[in-house]
Amino acid sequence: MSTTIEPEVSPEWHGEDVTIRDVLEALTQIRDKFSRTEAGDDEHPHPRSCVMTLISAVSSSSQEHLAVGTSRAISAQHPAQSIVIREDAELHSGHLEAWITTEVQRSEVACATECEIVTLHVRGAAADHLDALVDPLLVSGVPTYLWWMGTPPFDKRELLEALRICDGLVVDSAQFERPYHTFRGLSELLKVAHRRMGLGDMQWARLKPWRESIAQFFTPRDRRAFLSGISEVGVDYEGEGRGNRIAASLMTGWMASALGWTLKRAAAGTGGVVVAHYEAGGRPIEVAFRSVQKQHLAAGEISAVRIAGVARGTTFRLSVQHDPERGRTVQEPSYRTLHTSGGEDDAGVELAERRAEWHRDVLHENMDSLHHTATGEAPGENRPRPSTVFTFERRRSDSTRVLLTIIEVGEGTPLRHVQQLDAEDVPSLLLDLLSTGTHDEVYNRSLASAAELVERF
Amino acid sequence: MRVEEAPNPLAEGLHDYRVADPAVMVIFGATGDLSGRKLLPALYNLAKQRSLPAGFAVVGTARDDLTDQAFRKHASDKIHQFSRTQPIDDRVLAALLDSISYVKVDFSKLEDFKLLGAKLQELDNSRLIPGNRIFYCATPPTTYELITVQLQAAGLSTSSGFRRIVIEKPFGLDLESARALTETLHKVFSEDSVYRIDHYLGKETVQNILAFRFANAIFEPVWNANLIDSVQITVAEEIGIEGRGSYYDRTGALRDIVQNHGLQLVTLVAMEPPLAIEATAVRDEKVKVLRAIRPLIGEDIEQSTVRGQYTQGWVLGEQVPGYREEPNVAADSQTETFAALRLFIDNWRWAGVPFYIRAGKRLPKRITEIRIQFKRPPHLTFGREAMKEVDPNALTLRIQPEEGISLKFGAKVPSAGLRIRSVTMDFQYMTSFLVEAPEAYERLLLDCMIGDPTLFTRADEVEAAWMFIDPIEESWRNGRPPVGTYPAGTWGPPASAKLLQADGREWHRP
Repeated sequence: MSTTIEPEVSPEWHGEDVTIRDVLEALTQIRDKFSRTEAGDDEHPHPRSCVMTLISAVSSSSQEHLAVGTSRAISAQHPAQSIVIREDAELHSGHLEAWITTEVQRSEVACATECEIVTLHVRGAAADHLDALVDPLLVSGVPTYLWWMGTPPFDKRELLEALRICDGLVVDSAQFERPYHTFRGLSELLKVAHRRMGLGDMQWARLKPWRESIAQFFTPRDRRAFLSGISEVGVDYEGEGRGNRIAASLMTGWMASALGWTLKRAAAGTGGVVVAHYEAGGRPIEVAFRSVQKQHLAAGEISAVRIAGVARGTTFRLSVQHDPERGRTVQEPSYRTLHTSGGEDDAGVELAERRAEWHRDVLHENMDSLHHTATGEAPGENRPRPSTVFTFERRRSDSTRVLLTIIEVGEGTPLRHVQQLDAEDVPSLLLDLLSTGTHDEVYNRSLASAAELVERF
Repeated sequence: MRVEEAPNPLAEGLHDYRVADPAVMVIFGATGDLSGRKLLPALYNLAKQRSLPAGFAVVGTARDDLTDQAFRKHASDKIHQFSRTQPIDDRVLAALLDSISYVKVDFSKLEDFKLLGAKLQELDNSRLIPGNRIFYCATPPTTYELITVQLQAAGLSTSSGFRRIVIEKPFGLDLESARALTETLHKVFSEDSVYRIDHYLGKETVQNILAFRFANAIFEPVWNANLIDSVQITVAEEIGIEGRGSYYDRTGALRDIVQNHGLQLVTLVAMEPPLAIEATAVRDEKVKVLRAIRPLIGEDIEQSTVRGQYTQGWVLGEQVPGYREEPNVAADSQTETFAALRLFIDNWRWAGVPFYIRAGKRLPKRITEIRIQFKRPPHLTFGREAMKEVDPNALTLRIQPEEGISLKFGAKVPSAGLRIRSVTMDFQYMTSFLVEAPEAYERLLLDCMIGDPTLFTRADEVEAAWMFIDPIEESWRNGRPPVGTYPAGTWGPPASAKLLQADGREWHRP
């Protein structure tokens, strides 16, 4: 276990109207001091460990605060150098003001490690040349990641120049101010970025448990055939009206790119409703998005995914829901009867009602022909009846974040499965992305597919 | 490729995604120590990591007359007490407990096994499990045969899904009993369904030995007798026998640690590159190493082995009793609590390189490490005086607790003169990766559920290890060499140091 030495968690150096050369000299002195202190009478300086440089580009004091806090949280476990750059900050004098703070982690069993957080406030033309500011500070031989907080200026030369010296760019598409415009810029980046550069999106990291839960359902060999029997997908996301559909689009893009679905058409209606029609092997797949208001979720965050279909004469339904016990009004504990195509939560009910209203339920329209294809039986003959789900949820006071999965195969009893969600604080999400080096081909494919979908609506 | 055999395209890119098919795990001895300390907490942590599939179920069995609820309470208590992740997540725990049930099983009663069978059938139906079974024997080895026979008699050895049995070490007490055990298991389970668990192999750092050797081009060319002087393996524990006197006094350090953990580490250090990191290829190479170990016979045993027993002493600042003063240990016990030996591997790569192994209880601290000692440079370019502070290059693979790798090499001391001194380049496992490492049992349980036996010991490995150990054990029982003593909290009896001094070497002090 590591413990932080309190006295050393304090500003080590501060300079106004300084140059990067001054910052470098200060860094050298701090490292030398640490090395001598740690070596003590031993005369053998301990090796200096550093696993990465994290550059955080911020544009407000709240973002700066978050970046520094995140760097501290990461440094509690991993020796790293962090550089926080804030443009257009108010300076007392000159063009560059800098601070260096250090964090020393002392393990009971291993050598102590020192992490440095360098904060730079930049003003004027220097801010347009991020790479020139940062390059001299980089630690040689370890990866460099650029975390651009807020909305990255994908159309500006400044960002592309900065990316030249980075191994990965991390963004949070949930925070984009103009989601669709910026999302397109993000997907365009894939085409212009250098080969070594990875791309990470915290929104994608948030989808990981969802992807795992969905993938798990199809993992047993006897369910693998269901993958080519999917006919309907419903995605609910938090928002009022149109909201931020990026997470829902990424989720759809992930499935479509993994399963070889071709987008045929898509249309967006009012209230955040989107219906997209895909095709795979001549089989139609309908994807429906809908915004729902869930106060406990962040804007754009997915609240439920429902997948249904039929394969080899067996119907299946998978419903994955976010914190089903939270944000719901349950009058009295009682049993509710719901059609599985809608799921069991409020959003599901509404979606099912709309579907009935519109008479556009692709699954049921095509059930006969799908069953005929799978079994050779005449349409309408022995068609498996969708079973009815009876579920019961009692609201609890705990605040655990979970995914509830409900599985139905054929007419069997629904199987419920509860899984915990990983912590979704910024340091955890960032570490999750950085642990893969931000090189994620699946994300790149999903992003491209999602961008195609977004383009259509 | 049939649809069922194709990879799941939705699992691509989920880097730590390893999910088994739905199965029932039956734990025999579910109320015992191993189950409570390791298995149930490991299952909880797997559930927490979302590694257990929907429908997965656990059936605890033991002689105790318990209800499902009572066993769930027991499981909950143990998970709260021993889980590596804290605090316990109530929702995850509740979901896991929902999947746990209990059946009272007296191993001597066939009807109990039939009741167990009925329970498994019921779970198959209610939890969409296609007949997959894992039988985990968290029981003394003496029960393995009876359990196996009863499983077959009750018709539980056949089902529509897979059937696997997991057994814990010791896999026999000698070659003969190991063979008998294998024969018994093979009557019901094929070898690829038998999972012999050595939890050392589940440790990330042990697996990293393979990555270190075979994922890097720069180490393998020096990994041989041309440049390596010797290899030291230390498996030290600061604890005593922890109330296991009756078991330990019949076993001793040689059979408890060296036969399995010690020799497994030797195989991983010494094996040739396997064709791939998959079960057959890896285990084939490990067996070749075990078979190439030069047998110790007659006088070799007295010259190449050391045994010791701790006496009263001080460990980690506390006074502790001697081994013979421990409960359930004979007052005149000759059982070793410390074993050290020198072995040679007679193959092209390792000819003439001694492997020193030491393992013991009540040593100064808990540490497991492998030290690869390299030869000195053939010519002292800088002169003897400048090099007097330089140790030969050494690579230390630290298995626990300070997991990592250190490389010692010479560097010039900053000054006007020319002095060379040893410095260390250090890699720390826990800080270098931005992810948390799983506990060994979590890894191994999941491997078993998935059906990957790479990190489990195969029957021929067990037998090859016993072939080497049996003559030593026999000689020791005859008092050759005699058991020496060492005060608790020291690094073994004096003969241990002399074993290396005789070769002009000394133990590295971890």
